[in-house]
Amino acid sequence: MNHLPQAWGRPRDDVYGAYDHAYLQNGPKQHTQSPAVTGTSVLALKFKDGVVIAADNLASYGSLARFTDVKRLRKFADTTVVGFGGDVSDMQYLDRLLNSLDIEEAYGGSSHTLNAQNLHTYLSKVMYKRRSEFNPLWNQLLVAGLDGEGKPFLASADLLGTTFSSPSLATGFGAHLAQPLLRKVAFDEEAAAKLTVEEAVEAIKESMKVLFYRDARSLDKYSIAVVTKDGIDLKQDEKLEKQSWAFADQIRGYGTQIN
Amino acid sequence: MVFVQVSPRLRFPSKFPKLSFSVKQFEANHVTGADLYFVASGIQFGHANQTRASGAWRAQAPDGCQTIGFKPSHHSITSTVVPNTFSTSIGTGYDLTNSVFSPDGRNFQVEYAVKAVENGGTSIGIRCKDGVVLAVEKVISSKLLKAGANKRIATVDRHIGAVSSGLVPDGRHFVSRARDEASSWRSTYKTPITVKDLASRMGGYLQAYTLYSSVRPFGITGIVAGWDSELELPVDGQVGSGPKIGSGGKVEGKKYGGPGLFMIEPSGQYWGYYGAATGKGRQTAKAELEKLDLAAGKLSLQDGVKEAARIIYVAHADNKDKEFELEMTWISSLDGPTKGRHEEVPKDILEEAEKLAKKHLDDDDDEEETKEDDKMEE
Amino acid sequence: MFRNNYDNDSVTFSPQGRIFQVEYASEAVKQGSVVVGLVSKTHAVLVALKRNAEELSSYQKKVIAIDEHLGLALAGLASDARVLSNFMKQQSLSSRLTYGRAIPLSRLVNSIGDRAQTNTQHYGKRPYGVGLLVAGVDETGPHLFEFQPSGMTQEMVACAIGARSQMARTYLERNLDKFADAGREELVVHGLKALKESLAQDKELTVENCSVGVVGVRGEGMKAIEGFKLFDGQDVKQWVDMVAEGAEETAEEGMDVDS
Repeated sequence: MNHLPQAWGRPRDDVYGAYDHAYLQNGPKQHTQSPAVTGTSVLALKFKDGVVIAADNLASYGSLARFTDVKRLRKFADTTVVGFGGDVSDMQYLDRLLNSLDIEEAYGGSSHTLNAQNLHTYLSKVMYKRRSEFNPLWNQLLVAGLDGEGKPFLASADLLGTTFSSPSLATGFGAHLAQPLLRKVAFDEEAAAKLTVEEAVEAIKESMKVLFYRDARSLDKYSIAVVTKDGIDLKQDEKLEKQSWAFADQIRGYGTQIN
Repeated sequence: MVFVQVSPRLRFPSKFPKLSFSVKQFEANHVTGADLYFVASGIQFGHANQTRASGAWRAQAPDGCQTIGFKPSHHSITSTVVPNTFSTSIGTGYDLTNSVFSPDGRNFQVEYAVKAVENGGTSIGIRCKDGVVLAVEKVISSKLLKAGANKRIATVDRHIGAVSSGLVPDGRHFVSRARDEASSWRSTYKTPITVKDLASRMGGYLQAYTLYSSVRPFGITGIVAGWDSELELPVDGQVGSGPKIGSGGKVEGKKYGGPGLFMIEPSGQYWGYYGAATGKGRQTAKAELEKLDLAAGKLSLQDGVKEAARIIYVAHADNKDKEFELEMTWISSLDGPTKGRHEEVPKDILEEAEKLAKKHLDDDDDEEETKEDDKMEE
Repeated sequence: MFRNNYDNDSVTFSPQGRIFQVEYASEAVKQGSVVVGLVSKTHAVLVALKRNAEELSSYQKKVIAIDEHLGLALAGLASDARVLSNFMKQQSLSSRLTYGRAIPLSRLVNSIGDRAQTNTQHYGKRPYGVGLLVAGVDETGPHLFEFQPSGMTQEMVACAIGARSQMARTYLERNLDKFADAGREELVVHGLKALKESLAQDKELTVENCSVGVVGVRGEGMKAIEGFKLFDGQDVKQWVDMVAEGAEETAEEGMDVDS
């Protein structure tokens, strides 16, 4: 008799013979194993009156820069911006989901609207449900807006259903390259609450530039949004300014090196 | 059970020979504390709410157009009786079940559903050149109702609104289905449903409720109104600019989009309208709508709002003893005040329109009075 | 003999376009003991008259808490009310779980209205035999809704349903102007006075037969919620005493008294 837990509830091999795997000829059913067309980093930073969020306009197919006009910041009901990293078609699915949610919300007139916090809770449940079905939406999202009390709100949700909140957040490569830069201007909530909108926008733009220098899947065309209680100021065709590639010839170890 | 025996004097107009109430005696069958049923020759022809212990009772006969008043103390019927258009239906058994044809090819349950519509508050829609207006007369049934709450015009999709006359809960069912249709259209085609397509879907849905004995038809007539975008719309979920030529299948020179207004009846039948009216005051409202020459396509949305308010006020004039609230919504073209969205008419515009409507009614009354005065003098 | 053939089920219209089964269901509401609801700018209050089957039995529950921010009072078939209230509890919790948001009242009430409507359009179902008063607060302040077996739901300033409730409604209509600015205690007292109007000749309000439910908003911007609280037994004594015979004269100052 086999007393090991893995045998509990199973037909006994000594009575019924070993389990026959032959029926699984095609292997187990599989869902998405990797993303296809992807967007890279999304950056966001809280300041005293709201949140700044930015993402470049590139969608890559592997290492190919496939689409260069993809808008990865999506507005929700003039109160919230969701920034998407990861799979673009899953982003489009989520965008449609948010669209139908927005229409449903507007059935009852303008009196009830989901704030950024509500939206983040909702999205994180969607992400977690899908990962629990072993069929994740291959994205990492940043949700920027205001919470129920009108205070700046910023949080992330990812393909595993993990949620996280911080005065500054970044997805993808940005989590490694931009996050330290953003933490320099807003180490904690207290510091973020002192930032002006200009300082926050400047910090985000500077980080976007660093990402363009170092992330081969990034672009110098980007979208940036400022969310405050007065609404959303979204610009979708910005160009990184004052680039300097002077550091480039100092880089060693890649490509053909002369000296 | 209490039986009230009365011996009325009846006056039948001779042009209605079909009416065969030959009995000398009426029974008012007092079924519950509040209801009276009027019976002749064993056939029920009327029913009344006992609103007063004495004095006149009013009974509405089956076709909804008979009014019989009598005073129990006098034991007499004082008003005339008009015949019953359903005299062929009642008592035959063909009118007791939905989806059953009578020998002359009618589905009486659907016709009875229409009766429910005809007792409901008046709803209208006006299709203007640059938008559509919806208006509804909400009869105030109680002082305890919260003023301005209890909206009757609903948003179906961003660009479509719906209103109905008849059984209010059935109207909510209608709206709920319309929302589902609009939403599922979006998820299938990635683009908003047109007003015409929505009307078609809803027509199909209401028709299905006339097919089975296990359901009853909708006790409402619904009006759907909206603005189909005249521009090339981004596909839902589109994140880039897409192909520069836009979607295909277009005829050159043809105008796409624009206002849409449809009315769906309990039978599932639906038509497109320039001006639609349903509910209690529909006759008056239709007469007023016809005066507007909407087919010419000249009426502006701003004027349409004023006309809609006026028509609801005029249609209500026949029902003056009850107070009512006016609710109006509109959908403008993309460059208009609502940017193609279905929204409530702003308070200031609504109030202005109501003021004009009231003024119009007062002027009319004055006119009539002077006319009558003239006659008197003659 | 005359017989109404059109009242056997809820899928048959009478020639006048009426559905008798639905009308009969609203008669069941009138069999239930009276409940009263009313709202001010800050509070929504439910008061109910409880009945016991016999001297030694307990009293039928009339007020049910649904969520932190709302509750209901019922008149008619209590078991039907339990079906509806359980559904409402599920909807409320689902909103809190999915969005982290207290469900807007109108949406919740509409959802039971839609459910009730279905019962009036399909053979083999029967209309609910219960009327409800739903009181609560949401982002747009305090609300009171009436629910009827037909599926009709209406927002009210004040309302009374159940046996002999016309007397209570008359009281409410006479004092309608006073409710909006009434304080919490004042509103409860108005509710009890309305309830008292509907009592049978030999009955009076006692701590045994009275239930009171209170919910409200408070604080700056009316953001903080005074959660729905149900008062029974000795907890309603303070209010019952205020409307008791004798106490009336002093309290009634300036109020028109019927004689």
